[in-house]
Amino acid sequence: MSSHLSGELYEEYSELIPPLIYTILSCYTRFYHIGKANSVVWDEAHFGKFGSYYLKRSFYFDVHPPLGKILVGLAGWLSGYDGNYDFPSGSAYPPEVPYIPMRVMLAMFGAAMVPLAWFTSVELHLSKKACHLVTLMTLCDLAWICISRFILLDSMLLFFTFTTVFCMTKWNNQQWRPFSFDWWLWLGMTGWSIGCVVSVKWVGFFVTALVGAYTIEDLWEKFGDLKMPIRVYIKHWIARGLCLIVLPAIVYMASFKAHFMILNHSGSGDSQMSSLFQANLVGNDFATNPLEIAIGSKVTFKNVGYGGGLLHSHVQTYPVGSLQQQVTCYHYKDDNNNFNLVRPWGHPEYNPNEDLEFLKDGSVIRFQHASTMRNLHAHMVAAPVTKENWEISGYGNATTGDHNDLWQLEVVDDIILGNKKNLKDRIRSLTTRIRFRHLTMGCYMRAANAVLPPWGFKQVEVSCDKENNPKDQHTWWNVESHWNDRLPSGNQKLYKSPFLSDFWHLNVAMMTSNNALVPDPDKEDILASTPSEWPWLHTGLRMCGWGDDQIKFYLLGHPLIWWGGTLSLILSLFILAVYMLRMQRHYVDWKAGEWDHFLYVGKVAFFGWFFHYVPFLIMGRVTYLHHYLPTLYFAVIMLGHFFDHFVFSARRLSENVKTGVFIFTYAVIVGVWWWFKDIAIVSAFLNLFGTRRNSASGLPVQLIRIKIHESSIGYH
Amino acid sequence: METLRFSWIIAGALFVMALALRFYKINHPDQVVFDEVHFGKFAAYYILREYYFDVHPPFAKLLFGLVGWFVGFDGKFDFANIGDSYSIHQVPFVGMRAFPAFLGSATVPIVFWIMKESGYPTAIAAFSAALVLFDNAHVAQTRLILLDAALVFFMALSLLAYIKFRKLRYHEFSPAWWGWLFATGTFLACTLGCKMVGLFTFLTVGIAVLVDLWQLLDVRKGLSIEQFYRHFAARALGLIVWPAIVYLSFFWAHFKVLKFSGTGDSFMSPAFQETLAGNELLLNSQEIRYYDTITLKHKDTKVFLHSHEELYPLRYEDGRISSQGQQVTGYPHNDTNNFWQIIPTKALPATGRGRIVRHKDTIQLLHAKTQSYLLTHDVASPLMPTNQEFTTWYPDEENSRYADTLFTVDVLEANEGDPWKSKSGHFRLVHVPTKVCLWTHAKALPDWAYKQQEINGNKNPAERTATWFVEDIIGDETGEDLRGRTVKVEEKKVKSRNFFKKFWELQSLMLAHNAGLTASHPYATGPINWPFLISGISFWTENDKKQQVYFIGNVASWWACSLSLAVILGVMTTDAIARRRAINPIPDDIRNRLLNNAGFFVIAWACHYFPFFLMSRQLFIHHYLPAHIASALVAGSVMNFIVTEAIDFPVSHASATAPARRYPRTHTDIGSKAIAFLLGYAGLLFGLFLYIAPLTYGTPGLEGHAVNRRRLLNTWTLHFQAKEHESIVAEDAHVSDLRPLAILT
Repeated sequence: MSSHLSGELYEEYSELIPPLIYTILSCYTRFYHIGKANSVVWDEAHFGKFGSYYLKRSFYFDVHPPLGKILVGLAGWLSGYDGNYDFPSGSAYPPEVPYIPMRVMLAMFGAAMVPLAWFTSVELHLSKKACHLVTLMTLCDLAWICISRFILLDSMLLFFTFTTVFCMTKWNNQQWRPFSFDWWLWLGMTGWSIGCVVSVKWVGFFVTALVGAYTIEDLWEKFGDLKMPIRVYIKHWIARGLCLIVLPAIVYMASFKAHFMILNHSGSGDSQMSSLFQANLVGNDFATNPLEIAIGSKVTFKNVGYGGGLLHSHVQTYPVGSLQQQVTCYHYKDDNNNFNLVRPWGHPEYNPNEDLEFLKDGSVIRFQHASTMRNLHAHMVAAPVTKENWEISGYGNATTGDHNDLWQLEVVDDIILGNKKNLKDRIRSLTTRIRFRHLTMGCYMRAANAVLPPWGFKQVEVSCDKENNPKDQHTWWNVESHWNDRLPSGNQKLYKSPFLSDFWHLNVAMMTSNNALVPDPDKEDILASTPSEWPWLHTGLRMCGWGDDQIKFYLLGHPLIWWGGTLSLILSLFILAVYMLRMQRHYVDWKAGEWDHFLYVGKVAFFGWFFHYVPFLIMGRVTYLHHYLPTLYFAVIMLGHFFDHFVFSARRLSENVKTGVFIFTYAVIVGVWWWFKDIAIVSAFLNLFGTRRNSASGLPVQLIRIKIHESSIGYH
Repeated sequence: METLRFSWIIAGALFVMALALRFYKINHPDQVVFDEVHFGKFAAYYILREYYFDVHPPFAKLLFGLVGWFVGFDGKFDFANIGDSYSIHQVPFVGMRAFPAFLGSATVPIVFWIMKESGYPTAIAAFSAALVLFDNAHVAQTRLILLDAALVFFMALSLLAYIKFRKLRYHEFSPAWWGWLFATGTFLACTLGCKMVGLFTFLTVGIAVLVDLWQLLDVRKGLSIEQFYRHFAARALGLIVWPAIVYLSFFWAHFKVLKFSGTGDSFMSPAFQETLAGNELLLNSQEIRYYDTITLKHKDTKVFLHSHEELYPLRYEDGRISSQGQQVTGYPHNDTNNFWQIIPTKALPATGRGRIVRHKDTIQLLHAKTQSYLLTHDVASPLMPTNQEFTTWYPDEENSRYADTLFTVDVLEANEGDPWKSKSGHFRLVHVPTKVCLWTHAKALPDWAYKQQEINGNKNPAERTATWFVEDIIGDETGEDLRGRTVKVEEKKVKSRNFFKKFWELQSLMLAHNAGLTASHPYATGPINWPFLISGISFWTENDKKQQVYFIGNVASWWACSLSLAVILGVMTTDAIARRRAINPIPDDIRNRLLNNAGFFVIAWACHYFPFFLMSRQLFIHHYLPAHIASALVAGSVMNFIVTEAIDFPVSHASATAPARRYPRTHTDIGSKAIAFLLGYAGLLFGLFLYIAPLTYGTPGLEGHAVNRRRLLNTWTLHFQAKEHESIVAEDAHVSDLRPLAILT
């Protein structure tokens, strides 16, 4: 009896032995000599620094969502790091920065990919041998190993991509008993995982697309099930809506909420946010500015449109058009952003002893640039970039000027008080949104995303828009800083910035900056690569400096895994065509259910790859090799699926042949990994291209046409 | 009503009306309009037989050349600018414009006939035709010397021929079946011969053929696999092989006609240029001998290989270190520092042809002024850490760098033993020890090199932009001018070259340049704007009489077409959803017609429209004209679906071998109310057409407020508008923004 029981126990736990072993090996490859390279490698310069900001709680701006960086900050906090190092690229870590524990903690995400790959293969019902191969490939891919060993977001992105696929396959296997506890559990886990992956990098939307496509197909299938009551069908929709849309959205927003809550001090990223948001940061004095603006005030103006900067002028002149002084929009605080509000020409000059004249909707005033005393001026000269608009320039001085210097204030509304009537003929700083109408030409001052050429220091163009679009937020401005000695200072309590609008504002700003990361045609970026180079591993990525006495890392995939994956993806289309042609001729190749399962695994792999790859072909931003790393997972699954279908599950092959193929493939993958491992894991081979230069530039390297040699020249 | 005779009468009437609308005042304006700048000029080149280069295939342009020759054009007018007068230069432009106007008119009855062949009632077919007949965009485009009339004509003919072919499906392999199959192939090739857009027509027919073959493959059709192969082979022959032959024949004629050197020479490779009579390369290309002094010029950036006594600075701004050798740069002007002497690396015979430098020979280049040898080595170049530095070596220096001064002349497209020639011999100079090739890029060095261009060694041995040629032979080894050698050279014959090589070279250049047409144009628009007619193109203006030609469609036609597309997509989606729930809202026979026929038209529209979204070149609303034809066909189908519950059945020609019909024979009668509605709509089309007509025909001139009234959408950018806003006091001086497209040179 007891022996029977222990046999059962053994049965149950023996299944856990392979993943356990793989996990141990995975930890070994990810952690081994992880601190050997004691300098800031590659994008550690960014993500280490962003992690530090969380410890210092100072607000910064970056194109990626916050979850991954919060985790970097958490790793730093757990390691006892104080956040006072700014990670200059390539320099050696000082002793007080615990970079090794930080790297180890983040590498744990990378190590966890391996057991996840195992369990996902099991859930995909691959044969044992195929499960071993998929896991081995995840274990041995050099690029995955290399990218997991540093303070980067990619290990987390990969981890959550893997968990999303895992949860989805888990959930798929619960489909036969809908609304059971396990079904809800794995559906919810899928949603949670989507929320996390998207909160690390937006690349996570691609795996979300895979889940979305799977869900839509599933719902379409159920729609055709006439036996299902319509109530149940609607329940299916609601369950998915809740778990796959609402839950991820909550996770995503929660990461931003945490971001805002942690970063409550003024910092380098302030100016990307609205004036109101900034007023709530510790160390910012906007809230204590006088509330209502009047003639004689000195102010700065912030554009309300997404990514809007501060109205700015400087002594440099336009090289085109009127040749007068430039007026631009600038994202940093600077004395050149300050303007005095003065009366129009012909009215009495401002006298500090007179009664205060508050400004209101419809007031006509002049903007006097505080440091150059020039007047903000618009005239019938085409703007330098947006040719259909009129140019705005700085003209004249305190005593000279003309009627083209006059602007009428048109109040749009107030964020706190709402309708402009509630303002009672006053204009408040920070919250009142105003448009500036040029008095003689009727055009509106506008700053959109048109960037000036280098003569304008690539600042944003400010021009006068002839069309009156009251809804165009790029023509809306608010007073940001406000100085006026005669007015009482404001009250912090008046300013509360609504979370949702900050959240939205920050996301739009991230999107805008992300789209602005376009390749500069004048600059050759030797690190960038194009998507067409990835599937065949035409290129690697040099991750650090290339000095002779330096430890070097070269991000490069495992050639067999990359080539095999790509080949299997191409073949999958071919095989599909062959099987469909045979079906059209009514050949019976499949037992019941086999075809559906073959298609299911193939679709997960193919569409997973497709959704992760094709967007990179279309997007205009600069792309790097590591963008392919999540994509690679699906190529690996497809390769495993192929081995499974054509070898391990093939009816015609004998067990011996299957075992032979398995052992051979296994050995070759491990062998090639062994040959290349120094690229990713430094271990004892300190000087990869010094002592081992000959072997490293030997046959296999030639074979895969990498550009190591090219990159290694340069510095002598 | 539905007799064949009646259909012919209607087709004839449509044709006559189309002719009237397209030939009306075809002599106005008697000036060069829009892209007549290009296509008129190309016709002139055919007449003069001078070689030119253009991104479009030659068929339509050959036809223009033929028409021009027929109406007596002597080719002596250069169509230089929009607005140049034809009358003054006595160009028979009316005859040349008559040709596209005729094709454009013929398109209307073809559209009618496509609908008739698809089994729609005459009134519905006439409705589709009217959408094209009264369309201002088609009228404006087809009465000028432009390629689109021919393109749209052959595209419509291809669809008609394929439908005729498809209707003979129960008469497979009959003469008529073969005839229409090859007709389809021919018209497809003609479409492609007009513009590369013809590929989309191929795609349309290709999809239809694949669906057809897929159904034939089904075992239930009862075809043996051999019979299926025959079907497959017949279509491959008629729709791939035969069109390829026809398409190639256009290029063959193109090369035969253009046998003299012309404006297009410089686009082509030297080997190609030498097939053109009077070509500069052909006349001046010389074999190069050892000890000749030469100048070397970079093909893309047109700089000479140059060196001067100044040295590279020890340390660059970014901290990297140089070899401190003599600078080697690229310099665009003539200078004695550009002179290099070719030094052999092998023993030479005293005289004779053994002294000629040949492909794959290893040479040294001696800088004539400083008597030092060109050298490159494993040191990073000043601007690019990835590339090698070029410098020179003085032989009197202690350490011998002889090995680093060896270069191989790798003449492009040459065979073993071919001589290296000046001008025509494009080559790469490959360094023997490190295998880098001599390369330069349009980037200036800092002041220490007088802002001359950087020369460096590129590690890609097959780099396309590392191409150089010998601009001139300055002197032979005695230092004398080698006029002597030049004069002795006998008159050279035009070389011949394999047609397929010529074709391939031209075709790849066309595609490359087509993709490269990315310059901005004031009237370029994105594809998303086209179906809604958001904005047009200003073709021509005349300031004195306030006349203008503005290319814009008839709102009543384009919006009806776009609306029908929305309707049919909505209907098909709803049907798919309903059928999923086992509800069949549409009877099977009508549904089949919708899927098979209207579906084909929708695919035609999609194939002629969506690919534009993927293109990065500049795009214009007239690219939508073929898609508009397809959408007019869809509009007819949708109209039929709305006004009647029935269809004409069967449409395919019956035969003894055909399977038993699934449905009984049916006829449609759309009823007098529908006919009245269609007539009313035709009236609306005609009315709107007339209203916009002054912009289409360029006459009469319109005053500001009349222009404003015709600005049906405020996104149309018409000229001579009256000012509406008093506040904007600026006199918006009329600035001409007329520009032809596709400027290559």
